[in-house]
Amino acid sequence: MAEEFNTESMLDMFLYESGQLLEKLEGIILEKQDADCFDDADINEIFRVMHTIKGSSGVLMYENITKVTHKLEDVFYYLRESHPDDVPHMELVEKVLAVSDFVTGELDKLKNGDTPDGEEKELVEDLDEFLGRLKGEIKKQGIQMPQANKHVEPTQFYITPVAGDDSHFYRISIHYRSDTQMSNLRAYSATYALKEVAEDLLYTPDDILSNEASADVIVAEGFHMLLQTKSSKEDVIALIDSSEAEEINFDELSKEEYGRALGEFGREEAEPVAAAPAAAKDDGNKGNKEAKKEGPKPGDYVVKTKEAGKGKTLAKNQPKQQSIISVNVEKMDALMDLIGELVIAEAVVLQNPDLKVPGLELSNFQKASGQLSKITTELQEVIMSMRMMPLTNTFQKMRRIVFDVSRKLGKDIELEVVGENTEVDKNIIEHITDPLMHLVRNSVDHGIEEDPADRTAVGKSSKGKITLEAKNEGGKVYISVKDDGKGLNKEKLYQKALDKGLIENKPMSEFTDKEIFRFITLPGFSTKEEVTEYSGRGVGMDVVVKNIQSISGRLDISSVEFEGSEMTLVIPLTLAIINGIVVQVGNSPFVIETASIKEFVRVGEDSLISEPSGEEYIVLRGECYPFIRLNERYDLPDSNDKIEEGIIVVLEHEGSQVCVLIDKLLQEQEIVVKPIPSYVRKVKGLSGCTQLGDGSIALILDIAGLLMHDGERR
Amino acid sequence: MAEDLLKKVETDDMEELLEDDSQKGMYMTFQIGKELFGISISYVNEIIAMQPIAAIPEVDDYIKGLINLRGKIIPVIDVRVRFKMEPCEYTDRTCIIVIDVKSTMIGLIVERLADVDTIAEDNIAPPPSLGRKEHEHNKYVFGLARTGDTVTLLLDPEKLIRQDDIVTAMEEVRKEEQS
Repeated sequence: MAEEFNTESMLDMFLYESGQLLEKLEGIILEKQDADCFDDADINEIFRVMHTIKGSSGVLMYENITKVTHKLEDVFYYLRESHPDDVPHMELVEKVLAVSDFVTGELDKLKNGDTPDGEEKELVEDLDEFLGRLKGEIKKQGIQMPQANKHVEPTQFYITPVAGDDSHFYRISIHYRSDTQMSNLRAYSATYALKEVAEDLLYTPDDILSNEASADVIVAEGFHMLLQTKSSKEDVIALIDSSEAEEINFDELSKEEYGRALGEFGREEAEPVAAAPAAAKDDGNKGNKEAKKEGPKPGDYVVKTKEAGKGKTLAKNQPKQQSIISVNVEKMDALMDLIGELVIAEAVVLQNPDLKVPGLELSNFQKASGQLSKITTELQEVIMSMRMMPLTNTFQKMRRIVFDVSRKLGKDIELEVVGENTEVDKNIIEHITDPLMHLVRNSVDHGIEEDPADRTAVGKSSKGKITLEAKNEGGKVYISVKDDGKGLNKEKLYQKALDKGLIENKPMSEFTDKEIFRFITLPGFSTKEEVTEYSGRGVGMDVVVKNIQSISGRLDISSVEFEGSEMTLVIPLTLAIINGIVVQVGNSPFVIETASIKEFVRVGEDSLISEPSGEEYIVLRGECYPFIRLNERYDLPDSNDKIEEGIIVVLEHEGSQVCVLIDKLLQEQEIVVKPIPSYVRKVKGLSGCTQLGDGSIALILDIAGLLMHDGERR
Repeated sequence: MAEDLLKKVETDDMEELLEDDSQKGMYMTFQIGKELFGISISYVNEIIAMQPIAAIPEVDDYIKGLINLRGKIIPVIDVRVRFKMEPCEYTDRTCIIVIDVKSTMIGLIVERLADVDTIAEDNIAPPPSLGRKEHEHNKYVFGLARTGDTVTLLLDPEKLIRQDDIVTAMEEVRKEEQS
């Protein structure tokens, strides 16, 4: 089994990591979309994201991704170092989203096994022009750099690594062919390779990663390195990738020459050295539009010691510690199964009959076993919580949708998000994302009025508002999408449903409000006359309801005309655990979800009505309910047939009720739902199985299935 | 009894087998009725003693129900019933052979475990088709093996658990995933 988990290749890692980073990026952007500008932390974060994606895509040779991310990195590098005022924030947001979309698109291609061949040129030029404008603006307005950007560079001291007697000193110059793309990245990979063997390594230009102009410099003037190492010349040469190099000069120096060369490289011992950002700052100060084209000036060289790792840009940002690891779900499930087993094994040990020998002194054993029970209980809780994930990511996607759709439609909409930290089982999150997307789109498209004047006319602010709220109540999660738009028009809905022949021909007054609202979930119903890009095909709502029902949730709709509508998804907290009541019929235990049980009653023979066709009904307090004998339904032997000896369970599912005859009640407990193995064909009325405390298996009754089955039989 | 046998099989033969990579030609043999059947050891995951089975309603009669194998819930089928023989009482010799066929774990209820045998290819003959065509279980038997004076019927587990069973199950799973 272990092999299954080890198939992650570098590409998988890249896709996964980049995907995560992009999600994070979108989160930042959308959170700040209404702010005036990004704060320093955001800029750093975006810069870091772009930098990482650029780096890894460069390694994997996806040049279009590299170029685009590189450009955006440039923009944010400039923002970070120069703190320009008057950044057209909205435009910047759009640019970032455009890049994010581009990269996401390319990643999707990679996921499908295609080559990422998206045309990046337009985007790069667009960003170039934007960056030019940013810098230009400053020049035009002659704004002095604010004090804040006197960014104090952490002083870097250079301590010459102790050169052993067997150390060699080299000066290496690489000249790339003039048409080499991204020579700076190639140069970086060369330095990266040399770091493996280097005791000390200097290079110029030094800002090969953070300054894309260095690529031009490298092509024009070559890339120069000073290396102190114990490795031989041959070994060093072998490390350098010479594929695009035109010429590599390789001089061995004496220790004295090396010292002089250090001076040339702009390094003086134990003296603070101006770092690259200073150069960029200078450029900004001068407001030089041509700044990008200029190579770094002498004196801009930076010290790199062996420990410099991934380059100073990263180190300076103090990247936030990733505190999340991704684990294969199979491993999680295996762990969960094992813990379940552990709990049972524990019971077997602690209640072992061998312990029941009279006169046995067990106080130490009892103490130890108490401790063991505590730990296993906690272990169970932890594994359960591991499956839970906050809705944050899902909600973030919704922000993006509101942002995109509202801009496309030209509506001014504010999105309020409440309770995004609500935790839900991972499986459920996967199921609700699409339905939620439909609902949010619907709200933006259909809910909020097209003309702000319509809003002000009824005394609402001209800016539309959509509230996305999640809360956890009584073992259920409520996720609601609320808009303050025009609301649902009952007459219109009724008329439409009637016209389309989706409902019986009954006068409108015979339907309750709820029933009328539910019309919109009927397949083929769409009140929007025109089909838009986002919604209106009339397939949305019925799919929403289906998806939600598949995870045993429901959709509640409420609306007041001219005031807005609210769509609420009510879903179980987790699919994995339900609160159930174990009952017995014949020799078989069954589990019924507690939430669907209305009551238990004992009735006499006189409450039973039998039709000649064999249909049976139970009359309870004047109401008549369909009646199912589980033992007959499932052909269970050794069960009791007499209605007064058994117990009637009244079950409810989505407004319809059914009475079920069982033999006896066993217990109430939290149960872990497991699917019935797929080898066994699906049985109607059973939704899964579970393991009881003693290790035996009970089947879980599916009320919806029972009701459906009942209906079919008729 | 069965447990003793299990222990013997597990400790003596299984370990050897697992250590020895070449499981080829090794068959776990078991008795059903009067016949001896064999199943390639490469399918066998483990052998467990008979245990309580939770019956599932509305399924084919040879699917006896579900058992709990260390937290994993797996279906078990009664090979006797599968072969359209009269079901018999489960005794302490009755065992469940847990097999893994294309990642589907299934338990086979067999009357009695016999042994683990090495059967050379040469000793395996295709089942004679003459006159037995209508005989139902012929389709699960892919060969007859002679060892000494006994004949072992070699079973193809993939056919035994019925190919279409898995296919339809997979389709259902896929459908569910889509909806």
